[in-house]
Amino acid sequence: MQLLKKLKKASPGWFLLTVGIIILLLIPNLNIIINLFGEAGENWEHVRNYLLVNYFQNSLILVLATGLLAAFLGAGLAWVIAAYNFPGRDFLSWGLILPLAIPPYIGAYVYQGMFSYTGPLQTFLRNKFQLRLSQQYFDFMNIRGAIFIYTIFLFPYVFLMTRAFLSKQSASLLESSRLLGKSDNTIFFKIILPLSRGAVVAGSSLVMMEVLNDYGVVKYFGISTFTTAIFKSWFGMGDLPTSVRLAVMAMLVIFVVLFIEKLLRGGRKYSYSTSNIRPVSRRKLEGSRKVLAQLFTYGVFFFGFLLPTVQLLYWSFLSRGGGLMETLHFAFTSFLTGGGAAVLILTGAVIIATTARMSSNFVSNLLARITILGYSIPGAVIAVGVLLFMLQLDGVLSFLQTGFGIEANVVLSSTLVMLIFAYAVRFMGIAFNSVNSGYEKIGESYFEASRTLGKGVTETFFKIDLPMLKPALMSGFLLVFIEIMKELPLTMILRPFNFDTLATKAFEYASDEMIYRAADLSLVLIFFSAAAIYLITHHRRRKK
Amino acid sequence: MQLEIKNLTFAYNKKEANIVDNFNLEVKKGEVVALVGASGSGKSTVLRLTAGLEIPDSGKISIAGQTVAGDHKFRAAEKREVGMVFQDYALFPHLSVEKNIGFGIDHLSKSKRKARVKELLKLVNLEGFEKRYPHQLSGGQQQRIALARTLAPGPKLLLLDEPFSNLDAELKDKIRGELNQIIKEIGVTTILVSHDREDAEFMQAREIIMN
Repeated sequence: MQLLKKLKKASPGWFLLTVGIIILLLIPNLNIIINLFGEAGENWEHVRNYLLVNYFQNSLILVLATGLLAAFLGAGLAWVIAAYNFPGRDFLSWGLILPLAIPPYIGAYVYQGMFSYTGPLQTFLRNKFQLRLSQQYFDFMNIRGAIFIYTIFLFPYVFLMTRAFLSKQSASLLESSRLLGKSDNTIFFKIILPLSRGAVVAGSSLVMMEVLNDYGVVKYFGISTFTTAIFKSWFGMGDLPTSVRLAVMAMLVIFVVLFIEKLLRGGRKYSYSTSNIRPVSRRKLEGSRKVLAQLFTYGVFFFGFLLPTVQLLYWSFLSRGGGLMETLHFAFTSFLTGGGAAVLILTGAVIIATTARMSSNFVSNLLARITILGYSIPGAVIAVGVLLFMLQLDGVLSFLQTGFGIEANVVLSSTLVMLIFAYAVRFMGIAFNSVNSGYEKIGESYFEASRTLGKGVTETFFKIDLPMLKPALMSGFLLVFIEIMKELPLTMILRPFNFDTLATKAFEYASDEMIYRAADLSLVLIFFSAAAIYLITHHRRRKK
Repeated sequence: MQLEIKNLTFAYNKKEANIVDNFNLEVKKGEVVALVGASGSGKSTVLRLTAGLEIPDSGKISIAGQTVAGDHKFRAAEKREVGMVFQDYALFPHLSVEKNIGFGIDHLSKSKRKARVKELLKLVNLEGFEKRYPHQLSGGQQQRIALARTLAPGPKLLLLDEPFSNLDAELKDKIRGELNQIIKEIGVTTILVSHDREDAEFMQAREIIMN
C-alpha cells in the first residue's frame, strides 16, 4: 500500500516509459563523469599546465560580468515597462524580447563588421570628416566586446522573468510607497529590486548558462573558454579524453553558478497576506522623464535588434539574392530538423510531465530536476557525452550484427539520430516546463472527474488532457523549435558529414569573412525566431 | 450496506498528522448522509478516498459489499462506479454539454446514448442545452450539468463535494431544493460534504459531524 501511495496514480505503462526516457537523458552526463577516471589524453598535461587557468579566468569573467550587467539592464527595463506609460510602451513590452531572436554569434559578426576598418561607421567618418582614429577604439574582438554582445542579446531572459514577476505584484505596494513620499528611484532600489531578487537572479543565471554554452562569439573573437577548448581538443587534436576532462571542469563552473544562484535567491519567498491583488496601474510620464524613458528603452531596442537587423538587410541587399537557392535549401533543412526534433522532444516531455503529475511530490520534483539538467550544461559538454554513448552503442550494435551474421553495418554515431538525441538531452527541460505549467493551469479536477466517470489514465490522457494542453504544447513547440534553429555547438560537433543548418552555415560564412552570404542565412533565422516570439507573446496575451 | 468504511486512516504527507484518523461510517442503500465540519477536518478527503482518488494508509472501504480498498487490494477510481460532483464542477471545457454528459456512457450505442442524455437533461431541467459549451452556462446551470454527467452511468454512490459553496445566497435555496428533489426521485445513495449544517438540514440528510 505504501509503495502504491508513493507512485500514487501513475499507471505502470506511463511510469516505465518515463524511466526509459530519463535513463537515456542521464547516460551522456554520467558517461562523462565515469570517463574522468579513465586514462588522461596525451594533451592533458599541456592543457592543465599552461591553458587551464586561462580557460577558467575567461569563462568566469564572461559569465559573471554578463550576468551582472544583464541583471541590471533587464530589471531596469522591466521596471520602466511595468510602472510607466509612455508612447511606444506597448510595442516595447514585446519588442524588448526581440533581441533574443538574434543569436549572439550573428550579433557578434554584425557588430564587428560595422566597426571594422571597411565597415560603415569608419568609412563614414573617413569620407565625411577625414577622421582616421586609432583602430584600438574600434577593436571589438576582445572580452569587453564579447560581454557587450552577450548582454545586449541575452538580457531579455532577465527582462521577461522580472516583468512577469512585477505584473503579479499588488498595486497597493507601489501606491503605499508613493504615498509615503518615496521617489520612484528610491522605490526601485529599496522595494522593487529586493522584492524581485528571485526573478532577477533566476533570469540572470539563465543568461550565465547561455554564455557558458556559447561557442560562436568566443570562437569568432578568439577568446579561449571551456567550450572552445573542448572543440579544439576534439576537432583539432582528436583527443577525446582531454575533452572529457575539460567538460568536467566546465560542469564545475556550472555548479559554481548554480550555487551562487541558490545563495542569492536565499530561502526567502515573499507572499501576500491579501488575496486581493490588483495589477500595478502605470503612471503616465511627461516631459523630460518621458524622453528619458524612451531614450533608454528605444536605445536598447535599437542596439539589440533594429541596428543589427538593418545592417543585415543592407548586406543582404548588396549580395542581390546571390545565394537564394542555397538559403532556401538550408532554411528547409533547419526547418525540418528543428520541427521534427521539437515534435519528438515534446512527445517525451508530455510523457514525463504526465507521469510527474500522477506521482508524489518527491518523484515529480526529481523528474523536473533531471530534465532541466541538460539545459544547464554547456552544449559542447553534452556533445562529448552523447558522442561517448553513441560510440558505445555502435560497439554493441556491431557485436550483435556480427553475432547474428547480419551485414547491415548500422551505425548511430555521426548520424542525424545522434544529433537529435543530443537536442533532446539539452532541450527536454524547456519542453517539460511548458507542458508542466500547462498541467498546473488545468488543475487536477478534470483528470479526476474523468477517472470517476470510468476512464483509465491513458484514455483520460487522450480525451481530456491532450486537448486541454494544446496551448501549452504550442508554446513549448515554438520555444524548442527556435532553440534548435539557433543551436550551434551541439550541431557543429555532432552533425553528420555535409549536413548544415542555417546556424552552422551562417557561422561558417561569417568566420570566413563572407558576411554578405552569412547575412541572408542570418535574416531567415532571425525572421523565424522573431515570428515565434511574436506568436508566443501574442497568444498568451489573447488568452488574458 | 451500500458503503462501509472501517478504521480508515490517511495522511497526505508522512510528516503531517493524519487528516483522516480511524474513521468509521456505514451508509444504507438510498440513504443521504452529510459530512459536516470545518475546513481541514478531513471531510473532503473521505470523499476522495471513497472515490479512489487517494490511496488510504490503512483501513477498509467496501461499496455494495465489495472491498475496493484494504486487505491489500486497491480498485482504481475508474472501476468503482462511484460518481462525484466536484466543487468546481470540472466540466470539460472543450466538450459540449451533450458530450460532457455522454462522456461516461460511451459504451452505449449512439442512439441509446442520445436518449440517455436527453433523459438526464430533463431530470435537471435543462432540456435543449445539448449543443452549448460549459462557458456559455451560468454557475447554477453548470452544476446541474455536472450532476447529470455524474448520474449518467448510474453510479452506486453519489458524492457531492461542497455542492453549494460557489453559489450566491439567493440561488442556494433554490438549488438545494432542486437537488434534494432529484436525489429523492432517483433514490441514489448520496454522501455530501459541507461546512454548513444548514445544508444538511435542507437536504434532510443524516448529519455526521467531523472535527
